[in-house]
Amino acid sequence: MENAILFAPEIICLIMGLVLFFAAVLGWSYTTTRGIAIASGIAMIAACLWTLSLEGEPFFPGIYAVDFFSQLIKTALAVGFLFVVIASASPLTVDRNGWLEVPLFFIFSTLGMMMMVSATELLTLYVAMELAAYPVYIVVALHRNADIGGESAAKYMVQGMVASAISLYGMSFLFGTFGSTYFSAISIPHAAAQPIFYLGLLLTLAGFFFKLGAFPFHFWAPDTYQTAPHPVITFIATVSKIAAIGILCRLLSLAMPGGWESGHAQTALMWASVIAMTLGNLAALAQKDLKRLLGYSTVAHAGYVLLALQTFAEWGLTAALFYAIGYFAMSFACFLVICEIGRSEDRITIDSVSGLYKRAPFLSFTLLIGLFGLIGLPPTVGFVGKWFLFSAALQRGQFYLVLVAAINAAVALYYYLLIIRQLYWVEPTTQNTVKPTPLIAITAMATIILVVAMGTLPGPFWDMAARAARALIS
Amino acid sequence: MPLLSSILLIPVITLIVLLLMPQKAVRGIRLICALSGLLTCVLSLQLWTGYDPTTGGIQFEEIIPWVSAIGISYHLGVDAFGVILVMLNSIVYFTGVLTMWDLNERVKEYFAFMVLLVIGVFGVFMSLDLFFFFFFYEIAVVPMYPLILIWGSGNRAYAGMKLMLFLLAGSALLFPGLLAIYHHAGLNTFDLIALSAHTFDPQFQIFVYPFIYVGFGVLAGLFPFHGWSPTGHVAAPSAVSMLHAGVLMKLGAYGILTVGIRLLPEGAAYWAPTFVVLAVIGIIYGAYVAMRQTDFKFVIGFSSVSHMGIVLLGLNLAVLGSVVATDALNGAVFQMFAHGIMTALFFSTAGYIYDKSHSKTITDFGGLGKQMPRAVSIFIVAGLCGAGLPGLASFWAELLVFLAALKTYPIAGVIVILGLVLTAVYILRVFNLAFFGAPNPKWENLKAQDMSGLHLIPRAILIAVLVIFGFVPRLMLDLINSTTIAFLGNF
Repeated sequence: MENAILFAPEIICLIMGLVLFFAAVLGWSYTTTRGIAIASGIAMIAACLWTLSLEGEPFFPGIYAVDFFSQLIKTALAVGFLFVVIASASPLTVDRNGWLEVPLFFIFSTLGMMMMVSATELLTLYVAMELAAYPVYIVVALHRNADIGGESAAKYMVQGMVASAISLYGMSFLFGTFGSTYFSAISIPHAAAQPIFYLGLLLTLAGFFFKLGAFPFHFWAPDTYQTAPHPVITFIATVSKIAAIGILCRLLSLAMPGGWESGHAQTALMWASVIAMTLGNLAALAQKDLKRLLGYSTVAHAGYVLLALQTFAEWGLTAALFYAIGYFAMSFACFLVICEIGRSEDRITIDSVSGLYKRAPFLSFTLLIGLFGLIGLPPTVGFVGKWFLFSAALQRGQFYLVLVAAINAAVALYYYLLIIRQLYWVEPTTQNTVKPTPLIAITAMATIILVVAMGTLPGPFWDMAARAARALIS
Repeated sequence: MPLLSSILLIPVITLIVLLLMPQKAVRGIRLICALSGLLTCVLSLQLWTGYDPTTGGIQFEEIIPWVSAIGISYHLGVDAFGVILVMLNSIVYFTGVLTMWDLNERVKEYFAFMVLLVIGVFGVFMSLDLFFFFFFYEIAVVPMYPLILIWGSGNRAYAGMKLMLFLLAGSALLFPGLLAIYHHAGLNTFDLIALSAHTFDPQFQIFVYPFIYVGFGVLAGLFPFHGWSPTGHVAAPSAVSMLHAGVLMKLGAYGILTVGIRLLPEGAAYWAPTFVVLAVIGIIYGAYVAMRQTDFKFVIGFSSVSHMGIVLLGLNLAVLGSVVATDALNGAVFQMFAHGIMTALFFSTAGYIYDKSHSKTITDFGGLGKQMPRAVSIFIVAGLCGAGLPGLASFWAELLVFLAALKTYPIAGVIVILGLVLTAVYILRVFNLAFFGAPNPKWENLKAQDMSGLHLIPRAILIAVLVIFGFVPRLMLDLINSTTIAFLGNF
């Protein structure tokens, strides 16, 4: 029974997934299905909060750990799932026959991600990773225009599978080195000095780099961001980023005893970070499509996160976890607005948000806060988050690396400001007003509060992230 | 309620109230802002009189731990410099609200952004924690973009973007600089006072100081990174130019002083000769370019570059450890205040003339003095203050810095005094071309629209301040001196 409590969030997720499956099979109305999904989201959050401080291993020893780290990430995932389901009210860009499956696939993917962050054994990790990935591959393809959906899904799926195959290859190295798939065996410090260990680890990271959109597995990001149906890309851009950063923290914590000193792994990650942020920001400068622009911006942000992770230090893990939650909120603020204003449009260009403050003042403000966050301006979490991330690198004395990152952040200002200019200055091209439903308005409000609260009162959030990071290291 | 937090909270509460008010309640919005401005002035006065110059140092301290794990705390406190600059900000805030009394376009948003800017500025002048210092610094910069873009004039999209890119590029230098200070000290605290007790390795100081100086210097109009400032001033609406040139540029100088010079004295001394050269070039260049302008606001914009050069010159002379260091620093801080009030008066009046005539071109006018005698008189007072006329506050500030320059670097001293001549030339040129010729019949209609009643109040306040400190500079100098001596004790 105690084990069942430890596993409660996943159990609720699974049961509700089955309920949604029957809802889809029996062809219930979309409103009902979405209602069930919202209820399951709330139940999942409750279960996560209930188990937040518990620790233990619900199954065989060594394969599945429940600790503060995993439960914190699961809470964030549950909140993310709830928010995305709320945002996907009447998802007109999704094929009408596929509407009922959207919440279903989201919940199964969330289940996969929840298991992924708890997995402490390579095969469990791999299975969870695939469970998280496949539902999204399918749902990306459910665009109402089969051509667009096909292109989007093909790029996403092929690259995802390649990345996952590379991951599997890396895992085989880890197994070969240590003769075991258990993380507890892998993290023995003295064995960690072997080069093959780092090679295996870096290759294993591939699958999660893909999810995060980090260089060199970022190629799908701009295309899929641009073409996938809005609610789907909202899910990819928010929920799966939390899981990706979480699992990267877990994997890199394995190498923490010697990761910095050994050099090569750190150098590789550092260059991945520098290239990701530079490439993401420079490419974003030229974009006219809002979602594509955010796709490149996500590559840049992956670079900022890697900046902290390549330090192989507790501070870096804490900063990355803090940023994972903050990034979720900022990114969601942007995509919620895209879902609302682009409900019936396949493409959202920068011109689509012209004069939005006249057509939808509150949504426009939400997007403004989200963009301020992504720029990294106070009083949003973007500023504090960058302060923590950059601080992690400077703790290792990487002055010039932080300088490069900070200059990158200044370059990024340009394209974000262009959007803000469209929002508040340019005259609207249409007079259609967009009025969000109360539920969506409340969600937007909650997101704004989260972005600003983490930006002005970071203390409690930092302490939670630090506790999660310590749970990983011990 | 502690005094500093109260001053900071007044605009915060004002902002929240503004956001909750309906868009159409224009009168109410103006009234609330004016009241909040007045209230900050009153509390700043209380701060000024409550500060004890005999003890000197940091007073009115408040500490609340914020992120204790990594040593961030909400630490407020002011020395005499802070007291003076808080006062400056309150005055410019209050008079700025009054200046924009006639605004009719998107009033609620305008005042909300303006109040946000004021919050940031107050925060910087009070913060004694590196994190919060930078936090408020960025908050002060953010609203400039929408303010210029939406309510500005002329080439505003360009000016706003240029300004933001310059300022955030400055922040890009500050980010690694400030964090390096934290990690290098290894004290696990961002507290400025605790960090200033730590002696940093000279090599480290020499390495990091230019990042801090240039990073903050961008906002202070440091040559050659001043390009954003004239274009930004010109495009911004009057009250924003007032806050921007009057107060925001002081944030840069104050940052150099409180973070750069306080924490890294040896680095500052090492780089001072180089930066003296840049400051002198800035003074001459700003004045020279101002001579050739045809637009009122561009003249004032470049004069700001020139006058802020005097502040930077004073700061750099102060760290060289000569006998005149005290004079140099006193002069620099005095100049921050005097220039703030003077520029506010300049922009407030130039903005008024523009609002009525919709022209900023100097040669368009001619004999405006006969058509708008009151507005022109006020502009002339500001101009004479800019030229350093005795009896107005700038005179003393510039005198102190120039004397220090003459004694430390005679050649630089002579050059900047020549710069003063250029200043007189560009100001008298404006007077001559725009105000004292034959009246241009095109502007006869302006006769009925000269400043009156409410419009005179903010300008009268600013002139009064300039005159009071012009005739009784001791009021200011005694206060500044109490901190300067302790501050320079490190050298």
